[in-house]
Amino acid sequence: MARISAGIATSHVPLLGVAVDQDKTSDPYFEPIFAGYEWTKRWEAERQPDVILLVYNDHASAFDANIIPTFAIGTGEQFKPADEGWGPRAVPDVFGHPDLAWHIAQSLILDEFDMTIINQMDVDHGLTVPLSMMFGTPAAWPAKVIPLAVNVVTYPVPSGNRCWMLGEAIRRAVESFPEALDVQIWGTGGMSHQLQGQRAGLINAAWDNRFMDSLIGDSEAARYIPHIEYLRETGSEGIEMVMWLIMRGALGPRTRLLHRHYHVPCSNTAIGHLVLEPG
Amino acid sequence: MSEKADIHDYLAELEDIPGTRIYTAKRARQGYHLNQFAMSLMKAENRELWKADEAAYLDRWPMSDEQKLAVRARDYNRLLDLGGNIYFLAKVFSTDGLSFVQAVSTMTGMSVEAYQAMMNAGGRSPDGIRSLKDAH
Repeated sequence: MARISAGIATSHVPLLGVAVDQDKTSDPYFEPIFAGYEWTKRWEAERQPDVILLVYNDHASAFDANIIPTFAIGTGEQFKPADEGWGPRAVPDVFGHPDLAWHIAQSLILDEFDMTIINQMDVDHGLTVPLSMMFGTPAAWPAKVIPLAVNVVTYPVPSGNRCWMLGEAIRRAVESFPEALDVQIWGTGGMSHQLQGQRAGLINAAWDNRFMDSLIGDSEAARYIPHIEYLRETGSEGIEMVMWLIMRGALGPRTRLLHRHYHVPCSNTAIGHLVLEPG
Repeated sequence: MSEKADIHDYLAELEDIPGTRIYTAKRARQGYHLNQFAMSLMKAENRELWKADEAAYLDRWPMSDEQKLAVRARDYNRLLDLGGNIYFLAKVFSTDGLSFVQAVSTMTGMSVEAYQAMMNAGGRSPDGIRSLKDAH
């Protein structure tokens, strides 16, 4: 039986990918950001998960304004890094796990989550930056990756409660897969940031840290935070934090904190990172 | 706590944040061709055509004259007003060789240097800019 062994939350700022790709992670600006991921890199190297279910949002890369899936799961064999306007990142292709991905898709649909199924798509910084943060610059990514893309761009985006429930359904789906696989679920995006308008640059460290607190232990408070609170308190792009709730929901009733990191700024954004275990 | 939100109340609240345009269906409809134009710049061959003749490239898209003018002017606040979304518009400023910080700072009325200094000092506080109708 497959099982979800851990959950990771992390921001996925594109500038972090630039820092990795241009070997600038030791620069004074980036060093304090990357230092907070060193623990996780060592931990991942020991854990060697088989599959990562990576929850992220596509930033107008694979999906344009034409087709807007609320929840989409990548069932393909292989996904290439997207060209986001400056050429694709020079990182390894991402290899999927079609058997598990299709199993999860089927299980979720029977569980009343009507997923969009994607066989072929490119994956943008939302997916590849977290891989770089956790694994550095290997010749090949050390785990299979199932992309799970969430619409957090065109409103209404899914509610926090719906995201949490999807996480619960993902746990049921993974646990009904017959093969013994160590599966991690990563929720990415956030934390505070606003990339538009006169209010750009908004950061709310107190709110971000309360949100991280609320994902540790048995609290369910975060699932009921309305969209407007994310937007007012953490900026228009802070809404990405609903994706962390899919990860949290998949870890079950209680979590234990293994590692935590917070830093301001990276580009326009507050960096937040959690490593959690069920139980 | 998880009962269905009233759609009218929900949408009205989204308009109550100072200096912010939430990308609602109304904006997505208004900006559809503008955003699809921006999206086209993900292809290297389209970026070459765009750089060679911006006006001719824009004329291939059924966009309003206002949208075309705002693109030519790189007036990102105006583009948000006209239905643009920042993740789509990012293809335009990335093609110009601008970073997110450089492009985003142009919308704030601050110089890039002043904006970066604000970010390095912890960012913009939400105090006083959470709501239009109820300043807090």
